[in-house]
Amino acid sequence: MSDCNCEVAENKPAEVKLVPRERAGIINPMYDCQPAGAQYAGIGVKDCIPLVHGGQGCTMFVRLLFAQHFKENFDVASTSLHEDSAVFGGVKRVEQGVMVLAQRYPNLRVIPIITTCSTEIIGDDIEGTIRLCQRALAEAFPGRTIHLAPVHTPSFKGSHVSGYAECMKSMVKTIAKKGEPTGKLNVFPGWVNPGDVMLLKEYLSKMEVDATVFMDTEDFDSPMLPGKTIETHGRTTVEDIEDSANAIGSLSLARYESGSTTKLLADQFSVPDYPVDTPYGIANTDAMLRKISEITGKPIPESLVRERGIALDALADLAHMFFANKKVAIFGHPDLVFGLAKFCMEVELEPVLLLIGDDQGNKYKKDPRIAELKAAADFDIEIVHNADLWELETRIKKGLKLDLIMGHSKGRYVAIDANIPMVRVGFPTFDRAGLYRKPTMGYKGAMELAETIANTIFAHMEYTRNKEWILNTW
Amino acid sequence: MPMVLLKCDSDIPERQKHIYLKGPNEDSTEFLPVANAPTIPGTLSERGCAFCGAKLVIGGVLKDTIQMIHGPLGCAYDTWHTKRYPTDNGHFNMKYVWSTDMKESHVVFGGEKRLEQSMHEAFDEMPEIKRMIVYTTCPTALIGDDVKAVARKVMKDRPDVDVFTVECPGFAGVSQSKGHHVLNIGWINEKVATLEPEITSEYTMNFIGDFNIQGDTQLLQTYWDRLGIQVIAHFTGNGTYDALRGMHRAQLNVVNCARSSGYIANELKKQYGIPRLDIDSWGFNYMAEGIRKICAFFGIEEKGEALIADEYTKWKPKLDWYKERLQGKKMAIWTGGPRLWHWTKSVEDDLGIQVVAMSSKFGHEEDFEKVIARGQEGTYYIDDGNELEFFEILDLVKPDVVFTGPRVGELIKKLHIPYVNGHGYHNGPYMGFEGFVNLARDTYNAVYNPLRHLAGVDIRDANPVALPVKIREAA
Repeated sequence: MSDCNCEVAENKPAEVKLVPRERAGIINPMYDCQPAGAQYAGIGVKDCIPLVHGGQGCTMFVRLLFAQHFKENFDVASTSLHEDSAVFGGVKRVEQGVMVLAQRYPNLRVIPIITTCSTEIIGDDIEGTIRLCQRALAEAFPGRTIHLAPVHTPSFKGSHVSGYAECMKSMVKTIAKKGEPTGKLNVFPGWVNPGDVMLLKEYLSKMEVDATVFMDTEDFDSPMLPGKTIETHGRTTVEDIEDSANAIGSLSLARYESGSTTKLLADQFSVPDYPVDTPYGIANTDAMLRKISEITGKPIPESLVRERGIALDALADLAHMFFANKKVAIFGHPDLVFGLAKFCMEVELEPVLLLIGDDQGNKYKKDPRIAELKAAADFDIEIVHNADLWELETRIKKGLKLDLIMGHSKGRYVAIDANIPMVRVGFPTFDRAGLYRKPTMGYKGAMELAETIANTIFAHMEYTRNKEWILNTW
Repeated sequence: MPMVLLKCDSDIPERQKHIYLKGPNEDSTEFLPVANAPTIPGTLSERGCAFCGAKLVIGGVLKDTIQMIHGPLGCAYDTWHTKRYPTDNGHFNMKYVWSTDMKESHVVFGGEKRLEQSMHEAFDEMPEIKRMIVYTTCPTALIGDDVKAVARKVMKDRPDVDVFTVECPGFAGVSQSKGHHVLNIGWINEKVATLEPEITSEYTMNFIGDFNIQGDTQLLQTYWDRLGIQVIAHFTGNGTYDALRGMHRAQLNVVNCARSSGYIANELKKQYGIPRLDIDSWGFNYMAEGIRKICAFFGIEEKGEALIADEYTKWKPKLDWYKERLQGKKMAIWTGGPRLWHWTKSVEDDLGIQVVAMSSKFGHEEDFEKVIARGQEGTYYIDDGNELEFFEILDLVKPDVVFTGPRVGELIKKLHIPYVNGHGYHNGPYMGFEGFVNLARDTYNAVYNPLRHLAGVDIRDANPVALPVKIREAA
């Protein structure tokens, strides 16, 4: 294995510090802008085409990004804003866009209207326009309901993380309505891959819990069929969203991605809000399952006890032989990064550098997961908020020693140029095949992730001829 | 045959003016699709924005230049990791993107200070880089930041750097085409003739409108080296900022992509009297014709003929192997604009392929004049085609392969139609003689791909039809 860090231990407590990016500008952004995240939430709904009110690039590139990650096409429309709208306002283009979509897509039931930096600066009145559109729709299509959700996502605020949360919240606010109690549990996993959605559905099914996952993105991995049908779209229906108001509770798995929606359901429809830490790693998954059991009264089944055991067995083979004292940098969505940091410590990896983007510095300070890391770490951790990928690159160039980088594909050249093994996690992961299908959450996800980490390190040992002979007898 | 109103367009009949089905003995004096016109909102058009036309297509190709995007981070994020234009210096252009990360307070109070600070930081962080292009975006244009003044100030503070500004926000014009124009005109007016190039050959030219997709520029450069022609500037494949400042010293401007870069060639002719020669760099016949024209200009015809003969000896048998197997196959092309007229006749002449439908995102009427003149009868010519139109056209023409982008490629995969990346290529380069063999190989592999034929099989079917057999011998 790599060099042993056997210098005499300093007698000082581990330090966990939260620092901001000091530069004004960004070199290599970690996140896209708010409208991109809003589009990702929108495509999770069935019979829904988001309409982005802005320039055409705001849609075209985001569709390309989704296609890169999922190797699939998703439908998103643009109002194609031009100079005249910049001068005279662009609401007419929203009205026209809504009507054209309604005419040409007879099954369409939801259109989130997603604003951008330009249309927020112009000051287009989206709520007023929606009222006009609804009148025009009622006239042109009597008896047909199309939900129009206003999604205010100026690009000069937040990031694609907050944009995702905003669109989710707006769609629920627009569509949810009080009716008969369903006895079902709302599960909001945040911005995750279909692999995680499938894993959560499997766990809920094993626990015999009747639940709805928002958004159900299972079909983002869709088949080539003999009949040539195209099934690449979200599975969450209008009825699912309507009934989110009638659930027994909402399980929020992502503080920054789903927290605002479950809070809205609690405030507006009195649906109890159960936030838990994002279930990456064993302990976080334990906590989630216990919470589900507590809410529903359903016991945790033997099958999950066994799955947990198999995962622990696999992790134990890797942890102190291969992972112990390995220094790791993790970048990506905050809920992912904090969750994976805890997972790393379970398998004896040392997450010494965490990079989270966005301008939520004050919010991050209050995140209890930071205090938890402080309590648990016996090594120094630096958490950079408002980070870009240059923060990672320059630290490495200035001498930070890392054994592993975990993050999305936009950071690939940091790892390639520094010759550090990298495991792709999060969004987007376009430079590795099929990751969207694999779980990262839960026991199974923890096990598969650990094995991917191990195999990546093993391949690197062989490729760099660094004690590759250790594996001669493993 | 006149303009076509597709079924999916019954509610937007104005689309009829954009779709043409060429009838016998017709030409574009009778029928010409309306092009370069605003997109109808909500149609799921393929178009991008003017900003990306400038940054992603042209400026961002340069291998030694910081691309400072003045706006929120999304415009930087989105125009990064979306192109395949390598360089011979380790792909600096593909590794980095810069944003001023504009926030609400800058919208309210102005973003000029933020821009100035970001520019200094970028030069400080990468001290070896001395050149920068600054782009405005929708919000910085709307609030009216004076980026030229900021650039002047930074250049005054740092005498060793040079900065070019491009002011074309995403909402300018109707497509990325506007951004090409703004960058072309800005460059000729502000940067050409601000530096004298070193002349190393008696034959000099600029090669304009080629962006080194998967090494196109570098492949063609081997031809110019063999012919002894100095390329003063590549606009902009594998190019440098300073080389482009010396464009005024070339004897000839050779233009490949007339749509994105014809403007600067026209201006170089107007302002400096340098003749413009348009060539097609995709296809054997076209490439040979282009080399002949260039060599005729310099009076080095014999060298040109020798090069062409060499290349034909080496590559023509391979091309013909593919031609035999691609003869009569049907292709659709859904790309930006010029590749329609670059490719329709070259795949027909060199590979025996019939192009049955073509859609252009940002071509102008003159692009349609060219493609309709070169293209076949019974072929659809579409301006700014959208998703439902594509489905309908596919059903009408039933192509064996579509040259288009990866997203549309993923869509038509479900219809068992293979795609070849018509933007970034599958495994290029595609220009030049060797390149066109690559294109032929990728087309062959797509058309004969066993998986798409397997996809048509229903395993519940008792009597499945036989699948076509792919011949896997080396070409």
